[in-house]
Amino acid sequence: MAEILEFFQTMGFMNMSWQQGVMLIISFFLLYLAIKKQYEPLLLLPIAFGMLLTNLPNAGMYHSELWTNFLDATHPDYHSYGAIMREGGLLDILYIGVKAGVYPCLIFIGVGAMTDFGPLIANPKSLLLGAAAQLGIFLTFLAANALGFNEAEAGSIGIIGGADGPTSIFLTSKLAPHLLGPIAIAAYSYMALVPVIQPPIMRALTTKKERAIKMRQLRTVSKTEKIVFPIVITAVVALILPDAAPLIGCLMLGNLMKECGVVDRLSKTAQNELMNIVVIFLGLSVGATATAASFLNIRTLMILAMGIIAFSCGSAGGVLLAKLMNVFSKEKINPLIGSAGVSAVPMAARVSQTVGQEENPSNFLLMHAMGPNVAGVIGSAVAAGILLTMLG
Amino acid sequence: MLYLAINWPHVWLVTIVGFCMVVLLLVVLIFFLKVFGFIMKPKVKAVKPQQAACETVAVSQDTKSEDMTLTANAMAAIAMALHLYYNGVHDEEPTQVTIKKVERRYSPWNSKLYGMNNLHR
Repeated sequence: MAEILEFFQTMGFMNMSWQQGVMLIISFFLLYLAIKKQYEPLLLLPIAFGMLLTNLPNAGMYHSELWTNFLDATHPDYHSYGAIMREGGLLDILYIGVKAGVYPCLIFIGVGAMTDFGPLIANPKSLLLGAAAQLGIFLTFLAANALGFNEAEAGSIGIIGGADGPTSIFLTSKLAPHLLGPIAIAAYSYMALVPVIQPPIMRALTTKKERAIKMRQLRTVSKTEKIVFPIVITAVVALILPDAAPLIGCLMLGNLMKECGVVDRLSKTAQNELMNIVVIFLGLSVGATATAASFLNIRTLMILAMGIIAFSCGSAGGVLLAKLMNVFSKEKINPLIGSAGVSAVPMAARVSQTVGQEENPSNFLLMHAMGPNVAGVIGSAVAAGILLTMLG
Repeated sequence: MLYLAINWPHVWLVTIVGFCMVVLLLVVLIFFLKVFGFIMKPKVKAVKPQQAACETVAVSQDTKSEDMTLTANAMAAIAMALHLYYNGVHDEEPTQVTIKKVERRYSPWNSKLYGMNNLHR
């Protein structure tokens, strides 16, 4: 009888708090969004499942207290990965890759291997649109400070405006690891909602005539240019801003493997196997950080609200700069491509194409929008490097 | 009290300097890309008007030199033709048409004798 009672006492149901119950419901809702609505399912599904696993009572897969000790300079286990390996569960061990900033960089190798920088090389002015779209990051940094977050937390919240999941995770794991769960979920949710968030902003800031502008065909880009591009960008960015080197370096390494054409096997591995494996690890471990204690508070709601502000300001910044460039430039550019300056590759570029075709069905903006879109990836990585330098 | 606790000068510094640095760094990259683009962009040799005129005369007396400059559509058509030619995508039609006599070996399976006549008794 005592054994039966003991068995019942060890059951999760008997040990579940109401907060854990709420977190399980949230994880079910996120799983529904990933599977049924297909909102960024590749990452939202593992994140939601990680959230489910971490909130199961007595499962012992993730221990937030171990990571608190890891960050506590007065504790004997301060910065001790050995303690994590010794006492941690499966998700604790997987989380080491996030904590060390390994997974976002590995994902960037895959992203680089899948990205064509041709439109950006053909039209380098796209980089300006990519820079303007980072406005959301810094405005949200300001707003988050005003709402009572400290500077490191505000920087991590602001980076949501870059619409770049791996960059958000990379910066947050360095500046404010306790906010990793809400920030990752906000970043990936809003990236999935790009087709909903951006079009009203784009229409509000442009006239019908501007939306119908047709752009000149981009010049062809030689193979040599495509090979030299990643090498030059890595060297220039890393020499000016060393903190951006891990992200930019990995992005450009992947791109070089794709463009040079002599390491096809490595390129394909980076695009498929490596990327998929890391996405599983990253998603599960980020989801695991969303424990009831860290997620169920008013700050999470504030992060979600500021994330959407960051995203909207970034989109608006790109569109407005494109309009400004039209004032000074002889060759007109369609302002709709400015909103693609937030990363969210290639979703944001597709939105520019769709909204452009509503006004002029014979207008093809996709390739023009890909320039600012990939510039946004570089821009958000640079912004992360700058925030890390100034706040880290 | 909350507002007083925030180090606003530093927050503004990070906001303004941070954003300016992003723009500045990307402007530097634009400069590098422009330089590399100028050095490395594929150079298509333009047909000189005099040379074009000579060739035009050789082809047809009526054709003017301006007609030798190719439009994007013409380039695309030539590129497609070359692609089809070099990759062997285009069918090669046989140039000889012959009627071969088809000889079939005898088989009881298709024999009318065995197949039909023998059944009607």
